Amino acid sequence: MVEILFLAPFITGIFTFILPKTTGRYLLAATGAVHLLLSILLWINRPQAIFHNYFAATPEGLLSLLVISLVFFLISIYTVTYLKESEIRSEKIFTGSMLLFLSTMTMVTLSDHIMVMWIAIEATTLASAPLIYTHRSSASLEATWKYVLICSVGIAMALLGSVLITLAMDIGNVDAPLSFSALTQVAKELDALWLKAGFIFILVGYGTKMGLAPMHTWLPDAHSEAPSPASALLSGVLLNCAYLGIFKTNKIMFAAGLGDFSGTILIVFGLISIMAAATFILKQNEYKRMLAYSSIENMGIIAFGTGIGGIGVYGAVICMIHHSLIKSSLFLSSGNILLGYGNRFIENTGELVSRMPKTFVAFFGGFAGVSGFPPFGIFIGEMFIIVGAFQSGHYTAAGLFILSLCVIFAGFANQVMKISFDTSTETDRLKEKASMVWPQYVLLTTSLILCFFIPDTLYQTIIDAVTAIGGGL
Amino acid sequence: MIFPVDTILSLVLLSILFSYGTSRVPGLIKIIAFQGIVASIVPFVIGHHMTAGGVVFTLATLLIRGFVIPISIYIAIKKVAIRREVEPIVGYHASILCGLGVIVAATFVSRQLNVPSISDSTLLLPTAIALLVTGMFLLMARRNAIAMVIGYIMMENGIYLTGTTFSVRVLHIVEFGILLDVLAGVMIMAIILQNIKQTFDDVDTALLRTLKE
Repeated sequence: MVEILFLAPFITGIFTFILPKTTGRYLLAATGAVHLLLSILLWINRPQAIFHNYFAATPEGLLSLLVISLVFFLISIYTVTYLKESEIRSEKIFTGSMLLFLSTMTMVTLSDHIMVMWIAIEATTLASAPLIYTHRSSASLEATWKYVLICSVGIAMALLGSVLITLAMDIGNVDAPLSFSALTQVAKELDALWLKAGFIFILVGYGTKMGLAPMHTWLPDAHSEAPSPASALLSGVLLNCAYLGIFKTNKIMFAAGLGDFSGTILIVFGLISIMAAATFILKQNEYKRMLAYSSIENMGIIAFGTGIGGIGVYGAVICMIHHSLIKSSLFLSSGNILLGYGNRFIENTGELVSRMPKTFVAFFGGFAGVSGFPPFGIFIGEMFIIVGAFQSGHYTAAGLFILSLCVIFAGFANQVMKISFDTSTETDRLKEKASMVWPQYVLLTTSLILCFFIPDTLYQTIIDAVTAIGGGL
Repeated sequence: MIFPVDTILSLVLLSILFSYGTSRVPGLIKIIAFQGIVASIVPFVIGHHMTAGGVVFTLATLLIRGFVIPISIYIAIKKVAIRREVEPIVGYHASILCGLGVIVAATFVSRQLNVPSISDSTLLLPTAIALLVTGMFLLMARRNAIAMVIGYIMMENGIYLTGTTFSVRVLHIVEFGILLDVLAGVMIMAIILQNIKQTFDDVDTALLRTLKE
């Protein structure tokens, strides 16, 4: 009964629109807990879906699902307190949309049919649009407009790409279900030219949603205008969902013997994203936008690693898992900073270390993790990717990659130091609720534990996922 | 030989040309309604094998693409009458020239592509490509937010028509899911349009450029 995973949050989401808002808050956290439980059960049992033509529990899907479920559960606990502390006018819409958002993202991870995947990814855009417009300001309206329009148009490109893949089936006279797993098996018989065209459209389409430059323009606006729990969801897990669409299409490409073609395109888009992030992060004056650019960087790293192949794919998946855990904790911490200082500009913050010590620990820990300090997971992932790049002879690309990472680290560190240690106009201590700090601690600790100890089942699932596109240790 | 479907498709091509030259939003809404109707009845005309479910689905597509989507955009903008023209980024005369170029190029390209089409119609693929490109053009060359949403709908119609051309073997339930997504997307865009109008008292997207580096 795989389908219950996305039906349950869908139903509770609908109820939240009707129920009183305090009930809705707890329903949000309760659904998060139940969803996590169901995901773990699914992970252990791996049953077949009722509608197995459309849905399946694939290794890469299960990985994303577990990450989504864990991150959502912790964010939902944070959100309960966040909603008490901040003034959000239409709270029912906010909590309801959060749950619908969870439902659609779960559907993305479980879908196996090309078109169902498209439906689910477009549905994530629609479910998350109200989250960005929560504050009802003209700036958030602008961000929502850009988000919905750019992502919808981008994803429409992916629909065209999916149609072209069916054309590749027509020309190759392939009679198979239109699912990723079936197409991967018959990939050799598909028409290579139209498969390539389909991949490019799908990459541009889902790449828009994933935040790959130059289609990333919606991302900093949406992340900075959305309330922090929503930004954490957008950055931590939504981007992975879009990546999943690209990953699965790349699986078909690899099986068809076109892995080099798709790999080169992924490397180019990955490098452009990392370099774009490096350019913009240097003179960023808002901390949430800075975190958004860091997400673009990490998505670039993941695309780059996937394109490199071999050990790089393993590194990319490691980066994806750790990025979700760490970046969502950073956005939650940025929510505390915004509530405390009441300002989104870096220059108006300062002395975080003495004014909000608990948040400081989470924020600084997250910064260390996401910018690739050893021993955090992103460091390990980036190491694998760089080693992979050298092994496969991409010397120039690896050089650009390392250079950009250094620039980003310098820019990021500079801003974080300002927030943490610069003198602030006031010095009194700001209040921090415990329940708004420990979800971040749990996220960071999980990431830290995963660096030293990966459970066998998790390791095996990662290997299963990456061998399908020519990766592995 | 001229197929009956080519007659209505040539009207669609004319409507595409008209959409390049018009600045009036009600006119554009009528155009997408017409294109939506044609795109959804094409499967009837080109002789797809029709099951009962197929007929029901085609009628649902007709209802949503031809009526519900255009009417919802119309309702969204009716409350907020457009007071002034929004200057386009590319002028209307230049746009018409672009439109002619797009139609010629689409015809040329679809002859070169040499893809297996389900019908012998010569205009099906060119129309689909022209719709797609026109949608993109409106998205890029207009500053009027309503025209941009209409561009998006036109693109979606173009993709649907492309799918029809290649006899996509997608089950109707999945097609219906795609249609619902598009419908929900347009509804949300309509709500945003209303909010833009109320907040800024205009639909000029130049006002929506405060968030940048």
